[in-house]
Amino acid sequence: MVMERRKTDVGLSVELFGRRLETPLMPASGTLSKEAVEEVRGVYGAILPKTTTPLSRDGNPTPRIAETPAGMVNSIGLQNPGVDEFMKNLDDFDLGVPMFVSVAGNTVDEFRELCERVSADERVFAIEMNLSCPNVEHGGLTFCAGASSVEEVVSACRGVSGKPLSVKLTFEGVVENAIAAEASGADAITVMNTMPALTVDADARKVLVKGGFSGPAIKPVAMRAVYDVSGAVDVPVIASGGVSTGVDVAEFMMAGAAVVQIGTVSFVRDPEEILGEFEEYLRKHEMSASELIGCLRGAGSV
Amino acid sequence: MKFHTVEVEGVEALGRYVLLRYPWSGAIEPGQFTMARAAGYPTTFDPFLARPFSFYDHDGETASLLFEVRGRGTQLLAGAKETIEVSRPLGKGFRVGEENGRSLLLGGGVGVAPFKFLSRRLDELGVEHDVVLGFVDEGVAGVAEDFPRAKVATMDGSLGVRGTVLDAVGDLSEYSAIYACGPNAMLAAVKKAANGIELCQLSVEERMGCGNGSCNGCVVPTKARGLVRSCIEGPVFDAEVLAW
Repeated sequence: MVMERRKTDVGLSVELFGRRLETPLMPASGTLSKEAVEEVRGVYGAILPKTTTPLSRDGNPTPRIAETPAGMVNSIGLQNPGVDEFMKNLDDFDLGVPMFVSVAGNTVDEFRELCERVSADERVFAIEMNLSCPNVEHGGLTFCAGASSVEEVVSACRGVSGKPLSVKLTFEGVVENAIAAEASGADAITVMNTMPALTVDADARKVLVKGGFSGPAIKPVAMRAVYDVSGAVDVPVIASGGVSTGVDVAEFMMAGAAVVQIGTVSFVRDPEEILGEFEEYLRKHEMSASELIGCLRGAGSV
Repeated sequence: MKFHTVEVEGVEALGRYVLLRYPWSGAIEPGQFTMARAAGYPTTFDPFLARPFSFYDHDGETASLLFEVRGRGTQLLAGAKETIEVSRPLGKGFRVGEENGRSLLLGGGVGVAPFKFLSRRLDELGVEHDVVLGFVDEGVAGVAEDFPRAKVATMDGSLGVRGTVLDAVGDLSEYSAIYACGPNAMLAAVKKAANGIELCQLSVEERMGCGNGSCNGCVVPTKARGLVRSCIEGPVFDAEVLAW
């Protein structure tokens, strides 16, 4: 399948892991269903289905989502059919653009086995390691709980995978963890995951949803994380967190992102509008996408 | 998700519910829903998400939504003057056909919403059917005036039969198809009572984030396949599929 090239007079493409992406946009993990994939044809430069795990997971009971001003809190629980079924249906996400696969394990061994398994498939362009899941060998703290934990799991995966590895980190300790990931062989850092949050049903006096906070409200936090991480590592940064407009995409690239993920906002906006706004920004400023990357720090800044 | 800006043709009160009409000439099936909100970006930051509503009616030119004002999202929709934003029709609707035998439509509270449209479709197909609507009390039963042939039940007996929709129905075995929409407890009761009826379909109500299968927020338990997304596989399910 060949991607339909967008007709545009501005330079939207970027390079990642030696390959040209037609646009710097891709979905954030867990925010694009196979049923919605056709809606984003031509918009995303790379694709990324929902995180897969070694075995199928039912996920959490409802309520799983709660709305907040400019965002939402979710507690889905990594519901997925398990890696065997996932790989069988991977072609559902084939839009003719490079395919990322997001993996999550409960142990270092699970991560290693998943990476080995997924890396053997030639349809896979790169792997995103979702390190925000609990590490059952360390009392349920996430793999992002410290640099040594990041080093252990990234090194293990590096040892079995020849594919580019992007390590997805949470905000807590993001710079130290990014440095550790790079030192352990990561090819990119995805910054950042949702933030821990709680919503309450006041009438029932009960917890409504305890989970991860996403959406436009977290953008300034993600921006700070992307800026700090891109100043601390040499590998590319993939930004994720609260992007809702084309100008947001430009801002994240200025802060150092090579690629920008579109997540929660895709529930309330058409990602094509976001790409259109980004093109508009580039046209207005007579710049190409790749010229924006990191310009807040470099000679390109205004 | 793509949203379409549509003109508001009218907003009116039906009892304590609100009926909102807008032009829509595309195909809609009874039981399908739309994600709707008062305004798009950037106003949509708060409330952030659109809300799912079953279609109340569609005559080929005008679609309508029936809802109860419960929070800010519905409050803003109820106050919409010029335009609102809607998704395309989503989800799987009711299974109907000319082969349908005598059918029964059971609506509870604002769950009466999909049955104006389903009743219209059954009329077009020449399928004989009865409509029974249940409400807490007379105050919310105003919408029943829009269903002249319907039998009405209220929990407090202030209008129609005292009790639930099931209390207002005679012998269920007269029917070969039962369609129900309302609170989960009502749907579970209908499922139990409809045991042995050829076709029993339930339209479920779940909190939804996106409406197109992406967020996995709106799952319902099934017997054979665990939790499935009601926006994609529903909102109308065969009763025997659901693990209730």
